Amino acid sequence: MASALYNALFRRNVTMLGVVFASAFAFELGFNNLMNKIWDNHNRGRQWKDIRHKYIQDGDDE
Amino acid sequence: MSRALARSAASSGRLPATTAVRAVSTTPALRESSSTYESPFKGQPKNKVPDFSKYMAKRPPSSNALFSYFMVGTLGAISAAGAKSTIQEFLVNMSASADVLAMAKVEVDLNAIPEGKNVIIKWRGKPVFIRHRTPAEIEEANSVNVASLRDPQADADRVKKPEWLVMLGVCTHLGCVPIGEAGDFGGWFCPCHGSHYDISGRIRKGPAPLNLEVPTYDFTDDGKLVVG
Repeated sequence: MASALYNALFRRNVTMLGVVFASAFAFELGFNNLMNKIWDNHNRGRQWKDIRHKYIQDGDDE
Repeated sequence: MSRALARSAASSGRLPATTAVRAVSTTPALRESSSTYESPFKGQPKNKVPDFSKYMAKRPPSSNALFSYFMVGTLGAISAAGAKSTIQEFLVNMSASADVLAMAKVEVDLNAIPEGKNVIIKWRGKPVFIRHRTPAEIEEANSVNVASLRDPQADADRVKKPEWLVMLGVCTHLGCVPIGEAGDFGGWFCPCHGSHYDISGRIRKGPAPLNLEVPTYDFTDDGKLVVG
């Protein structure tokens, strides 16, 4: 198990670099999503997207 | 160091005739002089390698390596994400903000402008002249000998559609706003220092060095003009 993972991911420098960059990409996506969720949750009801429906009736754009 | 000192002390004891320099040096000549080499550390026990088996990992080496490389890779991934984010935020910071972008374009309905009329609109804080030219005026603009102009430019290079002349209403001399349908050439006249522009916005007389500037603009399909 461990040696199979090691052979698959870290044995060659190239594959390790690829794995690192791919996981960096995934990490960034997840991290940004999480932080946006936290921010939106903290400012619930105070942002434009939360109160937009009160001022703009949908149908005519802007 | 201590070994060299000890050796020099031993050799000097055996060979008192050697000079001090000789005694300190560790050249091969000195070693050859003493026939056999003896370790100065006598009576001390030999080095014993301690037993490290207590500290050895119970897991197989491959899982140890996997864990180490996993930690290294995780650190690398987080650093890469951080570096990318830093650079990206710097670059995003330099780009134009939404309010600037909203000001950057102006839309004008050309159907409301009759032939032979000027319209002045404000675009990025500057006036823009739009003239619906008559065929006679287009004829007049094209009949001018381009080579004789101060800033030689054919009328076709200044307009996209001959009947619509669009240009910045800022005198190229010192930045006043010229007056439309005035001056000696039937175009624009700058009251500040008396520059005369013709019906194509080209400088013909007065101190201004260049023709009136033409902004980037486009015609939409439904008869509108977008400046910017």
